[in-house]
Amino acid sequence: MSSDLHVVGQSVDRSDGIGHVTGRTRYFADRSFPGMLHLKMVRSPLHHARITGIDLADAERVPGFVRALTSRDVPHNLYTILGLIGVEPEEEYVLAEDRVRFKGEAIVAVVAESEAAALEAVSKVRLDLEELPAVFDVEEALRPGAPIVTSWGNNTFMYEGHPCRRVRLGDVEAAFGRADHIVEGVYNTSPIEQAPVETTGCIAVPEANGRYTVYTNTQALYFSLDNTAIILQVPGKQLRFVGGTVGGGFGGKVDVIVEPIATLAAMKTNRPVRYAYSRSEEMQVSSTRSAWRIYVKDGVSRDGHIIARKVTSYADSGAYSRQTPYALTKHAANAAGPYAIPNVSIDAYCVYTNRQPSSAMRGFGVTMASFALEVQMDKIAERVGVDPWTIRFINAYRNGDMKPHRKRAEDATLIETMQAAAVLVGHELPDDLIAMTSSPRDASPSGGGA
Amino acid sequence: MTVKAYRLPRSLPEALGLLEEHGPELLVMAGGTVAMPLINEGISLPEAVMGLRLAGLDGLERTGDRLRIGATATLTQLLNQDAVPMLREAARNTASWSIRNMGTVGGNLFTPPPGGDVAVALLALDASVTLASTRGDRVLPLADFLTGFMRNELAEDELLVEIGVPIRSEATAYLKLGRKHANTPAVVTVAVRLEWRRERVADARIALGAVGPHAIRAREAEALLIGTTLEAEAIAAAADAATQGCEPFTDGISTEWYRRRMVGLFVRRALEQLTPGTREGGR
Amino acid sequence: MASTIISFELGDREVEVMVRPMTTLQAVLRNQLGLTATKDGCRQGGCGSCTVLVNGEPMLSCLLPVEDVAGKRVTTLESITPAEGLHPIQRAFLDAHALQCGYCTPGMVMVSKALLDHDPAPSDDSILQALTGNICRCTGYRPIVEAVRRAAGAMSGSAGEQAR
Repeated sequence: MSSDLHVVGQSVDRSDGIGHVTGRTRYFADRSFPGMLHLKMVRSPLHHARITGIDLADAERVPGFVRALTSRDVPHNLYTILGLIGVEPEEEYVLAEDRVRFKGEAIVAVVAESEAAALEAVSKVRLDLEELPAVFDVEEALRPGAPIVTSWGNNTFMYEGHPCRRVRLGDVEAAFGRADHIVEGVYNTSPIEQAPVETTGCIAVPEANGRYTVYTNTQALYFSLDNTAIILQVPGKQLRFVGGTVGGGFGGKVDVIVEPIATLAAMKTNRPVRYAYSRSEEMQVSSTRSAWRIYVKDGVSRDGHIIARKVTSYADSGAYSRQTPYALTKHAANAAGPYAIPNVSIDAYCVYTNRQPSSAMRGFGVTMASFALEVQMDKIAERVGVDPWTIRFINAYRNGDMKPHRKRAEDATLIETMQAAAVLVGHELPDDLIAMTSSPRDASPSGGGA
Repeated sequence: MTVKAYRLPRSLPEALGLLEEHGPELLVMAGGTVAMPLINEGISLPEAVMGLRLAGLDGLERTGDRLRIGATATLTQLLNQDAVPMLREAARNTASWSIRNMGTVGGNLFTPPPGGDVAVALLALDASVTLASTRGDRVLPLADFLTGFMRNELAEDELLVEIGVPIRSEATAYLKLGRKHANTPAVVTVAVRLEWRRERVADARIALGAVGPHAIRAREAEALLIGTTLEAEAIAAAADAATQGCEPFTDGISTEWYRRRMVGLFVRRALEQLTPGTREGGR
Repeated sequence: MASTIISFELGDREVEVMVRPMTTLQAVLRNQLGLTATKDGCRQGGCGSCTVLVNGEPMLSCLLPVEDVAGKRVTTLESITPAEGLHPIQRAFLDAHALQCGYCTPGMVMVSKALLDHDPAPSDDSILQALTGNICRCTGYRPIVEAVRRAAGAMSGSAGEQAR
């Protein structure tokens, strides 16, 4: 009875709401510790270069300078974030070794008594760099003769021996031969920076019992702890990560970037070390949503049914893959869209370029597919002479339909959602579309078919 | 930060004395809205800085037919005056409340494009600047003060202390296109002032922002309007001349080709606002 | 490099700090005085999360050398939070769900306070104009505008109801 309900049906204050409106919420940078040091990073000014020398002499003379860390100081310098879920190979460097692959790549970590001293010392580190040709476009990166970003001779991430994620259903080429219309499009999206108002960062604090407590705003607390343990070659139990208070993430704080080097610096100095991204680092160095290029070729029947869809996608992973291989897998599973298409071919490539590495952002792999496919649907509607609502209704997938990645659709709701949307925007649908449901095709006498 | 000395003079003579003492290496700062980001980011590493906020240069007063604006009068002060409506419009289109409380009118003259949206209005208003030094004061038209990208007529021992604006009654139009509706650097800014005599344009000022090394006058476009009744053909010709005569650039805000297209569009819109019949006095 | 002693009013008390030249008010509040409600999002004057009031006017503490506020009255979010309960603006933000990650919230509340002190019954356009310098990446802004509307209503309707 409603008298027993104290939460359901009530407006309840968020558990962290009072902290947020009073300013009492403790974000990582609101903490400070006696003797805390500040870490600032020396970064590559070039997109692609060989490192031939690092001179720390002037930096070391800056008052307040404490320590500089290079790749030689990192116990397990080569790692890959998704190694924890079996993704290979290890390909990214905590600190660059002999080559930098994107502008902003971390080379030397400088630790000092104050932020100002750390920034001054960073400005005085001298780098000898031999510039190399760079590539910034996914298709250029796949052409013979392109500058190679990886260490394995080509710019492609390999999925168990395959250069791309592949989805095959039916026979697209034969279906193209039967189609009344061929509709093609190429869709490009830009990298997008998540731009949380709070920048990425952490404070690593040595404890008296030999453990390290790391206060961090990562979105992936255990992920970061486990990768840090691997990089520092210590048992996981030596690390205690405290987090969960994040000033905006949106996928921009799921990479393991600041914790390993800050914790290493705390180990080497036996003092708390704070490493926080500046705003320009957050915008220009931290990972973004990938840029994508998506080619779509559809074979369409006279009345607007898509009988074949061929998608070739290129995700710009930037210099390191981070979470992009996973994004691409999700993309491939969704790249035909929520439509019942009997012949589908999807090739989705994760391509390396010398751009800022891309990683996770909301919608992760699927958002750009939606953009490409929905513009494509409007194109089809225009070509075939069918209303854009109708084109989507008649192609919508329903329960029991075989999806291109060989799963039968369950809980399909596209038709019902579009019907509700039409009501909301005041668009009158014709009776036959109003009568449609997502129930399986063989059960519905009026259902369209492939 | 490497700043070793931060001086806050309480008067103009004190400020000029400090300028002499420290020489051209002294970074002069008014509201801090341009200098502090560079200092915070470690791009600018001055050893000595002079702040002018407390030097008594923030007056704003109307004397007869002239509005005298102290160099460190804030953009909020400009927003709150009603002697020159176009300056109110320019201030309203610049930055945000907090930045306007800190940023100064004088500082806006030193802000590189695509900033400097108040400078554009001042240029269309035939503003003049007073430059002071221990050698004395001199007054220049603003149009002569701005000489190049981040370059101006200020001598090493001078400070810009006042901006003077004639108070007139003609209609003006001010339009700014940004990436958002507010608090945005400009894609293009247009400020127009026309003088009429017997139903014809007697004199014209068209000032443009974000399409040159500093706020610029579209002088060819202005000349094409003289003697016309601001009919559609005249407006089109002026818009075209403004488009050809500017030097837009590509940056993080916009591209050269888009800025060039928008100059013509917004010059036309500004002139259409001032067409007889649609003309609103003092808008 | 000589440090100087700067004193200013903070909330209802007088504070004195020793600072190196051009230490920002933001750094003084957060690092020396332990008052971390004022946030640190960009140090460029672009996000507004460091907004404080100086003599009642909103300013960006990341761009303000503390020397410039000597003798002035500084108000932070800590200053307006009552010892018990919430300020009506804070209550309104909670009720209108005008926050998610919370990082922009202190700046938004401070600007709202300044707005309502100047204009107890602001139009929607005035609210929007006041907030243009504060960036929120989570809420889409509409709940924040609604919160300010509600706070205006609450504060004009019931002058005595400060804490709940």
